[in-house]
Amino acid sequence: MEEIKVVENNEAASAAITQQYIVVRLGEEQYGVDIRYIDNIVRMQKITRVPKVAPYLKGVINLRGEVIPIMSLRLKMFLPQDEITKATRIIILKLGQYGSIGVIVDEVKEVVTLDEGQIEKVAYDSKDDKMNFIGGIGKYEGGLISLLDFNLVMQERENTP
Amino acid sequence: MDISQYLEIFIDESNEHLQNLNTQILNLESEPENMDTINEIFRAAHSLKGMAGTMGYKRMQTLTHDMENVFSEVRNGNIKVSPHMVDILFQCLDALDEYVNNVKESADEGTNENEPLIRQLNAVLDTPEKAKESAPAEAKEKAGESGDCRKWLEIQLDSAQQHVIKAATEQGKNVFGLTVTVQESCILKAARAFLVFKAVEELGEIIVSNPSAQDVEDEKFDLDFSLIVVADGDIETLKTAAASVSEISSVVGEAIVLDNMAARDKYGETPHEPKPQAAPKVAVEQNTAQAAVTEAAPAPAAEPAGKPAAPKAGDKKQAPGKPVVNRTVRVDIEKLDVLMNLVSELIIAKNSLVSVSNQVQGQNQSVNEQIEYLENVTTNLHESVMKVRMVPIESVVSKFPRMIRDLSKKLDKKMELYMTGEETELDRTVVDEIGDPLMHLLRNSADHGLEPAELRVQRGKPAVGSIFLDAYQDGNNVVIEVRDDGNGIDVEAVKNKALERGAVTPEQAANMTDKEIIDLLFLPSFSTAKKVTDVSGRGVGLDVVKSKIEALSGEVEVKSKLGEGSTWTIRLPLTLAIIQALMVVVGGEKYAISLGTIQTIEDIAPEEIKLVQNKEVIHLRGSVIPLIRLSNVLDVESTKSPEEHLMVVIVKKGDKLAGLVIDDMIGQQEIVIKSLGKYIKQCKFISGATILGDGEVALILDANALI
Repeated sequence: MEEIKVVENNEAASAAITQQYIVVRLGEEQYGVDIRYIDNIVRMQKITRVPKVAPYLKGVINLRGEVIPIMSLRLKMFLPQDEITKATRIIILKLGQYGSIGVIVDEVKEVVTLDEGQIEKVAYDSKDDKMNFIGGIGKYEGGLISLLDFNLVMQERENTP
Repeated sequence: MDISQYLEIFIDESNEHLQNLNTQILNLESEPENMDTINEIFRAAHSLKGMAGTMGYKRMQTLTHDMENVFSEVRNGNIKVSPHMVDILFQCLDALDEYVNNVKESADEGTNENEPLIRQLNAVLDTPEKAKESAPAEAKEKAGESGDCRKWLEIQLDSAQQHVIKAATEQGKNVFGLTVTVQESCILKAARAFLVFKAVEELGEIIVSNPSAQDVEDEKFDLDFSLIVVADGDIETLKTAAASVSEISSVVGEAIVLDNMAARDKYGETPHEPKPQAAPKVAVEQNTAQAAVTEAAPAPAAEPAGKPAAPKAGDKKQAPGKPVVNRTVRVDIEKLDVLMNLVSELIIAKNSLVSVSNQVQGQNQSVNEQIEYLENVTTNLHESVMKVRMVPIESVVSKFPRMIRDLSKKLDKKMELYMTGEETELDRTVVDEIGDPLMHLLRNSADHGLEPAELRVQRGKPAVGSIFLDAYQDGNNVVIEVRDDGNGIDVEAVKNKALERGAVTPEQAANMTDKEIIDLLFLPSFSTAKKVTDVSGRGVGLDVVKSKIEALSGEVEVKSKLGEGSTWTIRLPLTLAIIQALMVVVGGEKYAISLGTIQTIEDIAPEEIKLVQNKEVIHLRGSVIPLIRLSNVLDVESTKSPEEHLMVVIVKKGDKLAGLVIDDMIGQQEIVIKSLGKYIKQCKFISGATILGDGEVALILDANALI
């Protein structure tokens, strides 16, 4: 599991299968979030701190009567503490077994449609912590988007700070 | 027939019948001659058999059938109730219970034939073959038939109805009396009856029914109901129509006339004499007939579904021994949850309104009044919805007498269970969960608490041990006590065990109070039973009890006196969803503390704080109370300087007190408890979150976990 495995795609066969991603910015990098998980995108609001939890869990917010836990993706991915700006957003994700959870991102940029040919699968790399959350890399208009796999993000919770 | 839609009803009702059987057979054991009990058992077993048969559960049917045979012989006085027989019957009930559980899980009864049981049952019977052949059900039905089936003769008519009948006769219509009997095995009698009503109404008009249409709809009839019908056709058509409904066992009917009506007491019984079948009549247009009828009588003919304006037919001998049915509806618990959630939303919305109106300058008097009114309504609404969700704990505790009886045999100790307060109500979710902990405690009392009979006699106690289960409401809590007059907890034994296990050091043990030592029992895998039995003693009991009850936001306590017995007290909140709370501020953050745990709020000068064993305590009205600085617990900076007076909330858990140091107090508020979500593994002393009027989230502190 040391090397990154590149899966060859048969472009003709997979051209029809497309996936939509919301492109978000975290620091200098761009990440893609599978649109199927996204329930809502809200502006930054007051987060109620919860004592004695992992530092990347920032607390809880009230979203239309529901109490939703908020996670800092930056801290989770070992990036510096969030800088709250006007562009900061909370993306509310609905993840079956974990329920709803909000993640803080620096900016929400656009929605892209990628077909399978534009996605390169990435294998799990135990050396690179950031890589552990990436399900694939999307090539779009010359740029690269790291596609977040939230099942991996969530699973990691036991062994990350 | 597709039976899946009836499955739920079947399971519910089977459980009810089984519970009933359990209770009644217990009664039977103590009073073997009680005819009422025997009849009740017979009835329940019979219904069970019928239901199982209808659903196609043959094995279950066979077993109940054989049980019924035994009851039938008992009822006829051919055999006497013996303890041996009761044992077998209980085993049968367990087997039936297993069938029902199988059905619940897989919609199939399973393959266990329970042949040994059936053989034992048959051995109980004096003449098994005979009993087997004459299924009592059929005998009963036949008895019914040989009696006067023309039950419509019992119907009493009031003047209006007599008038309708007379008018109809004058128009050349026929008046018939019908008595319809449904099969005993029919599970949806009301539905069948409804179909009969419908079939008859297609041919004519139902003037009166006995029992009333409403009662029939509510299934308040035994097996038959009678109708008086005005129709154009002849009786045979009617009978065929009624009999074509499935699960109808017989239809008896004749034409009737009202004889010498004027001479009779109008409200008295009117005899109906059969008259020869009338010749076919000229068809009268239904509409005109109905119009005439409507004019003639208040009984609305346009609504033939017939909620007859008549009072219920006077004599109700049709439902002998049938308990008065509560007017209830079965509601899916999920629907109630939705309702409860909506009420919660409403209360949050109301709280926002309150907070908005407080911000508005130059308050308008009438706005405040309206908000107060709204507050009133939402609080009442909350209470009502809560009440709907409440069920008596009876549904859980009613299985305990049976359990104690079994334990008594198994452990070879004589014991009696006395229960009070079975009618005490608790939230449905709590009731569902409380069964296991209670069972643990009862088993514990039976196994460890009560001494063997000889020892009891030596100690001057009655040979038969007593276990008490008392439930009652205490303010916003429900208290359930399990008490026994057994040996009590041997503090020394517990202490030695704790030392042996290394749970405490000898120094610690020397300093511990008896109560603290007894609390050690609640530690995981701590059992003092000298021998492990299959009843209790594996050390998984008490810590499970504790954690389960704490999961329900309740608490459990034990008091014991060596040689005299122990009392286990479970304290549960009435409701789980909405509580009254005190809002406090710690380090700029808002927290809620349940009002139920708060004793007083004190203003303490810093110099009043003393140190005991390096812990801060205060001396308050004769008791020493440990201080808990919430700012330390919650990892925040207190906004107060150390010289300032402290604001201390005194909270109580059982008979322990603690002082929580807060920065400021906002006031009392009704709050809706919300979960923090699955992803945040919350720390022990945060029991949830709530949404405040301004939309902010505040965490709820569990004072019990802090102490």
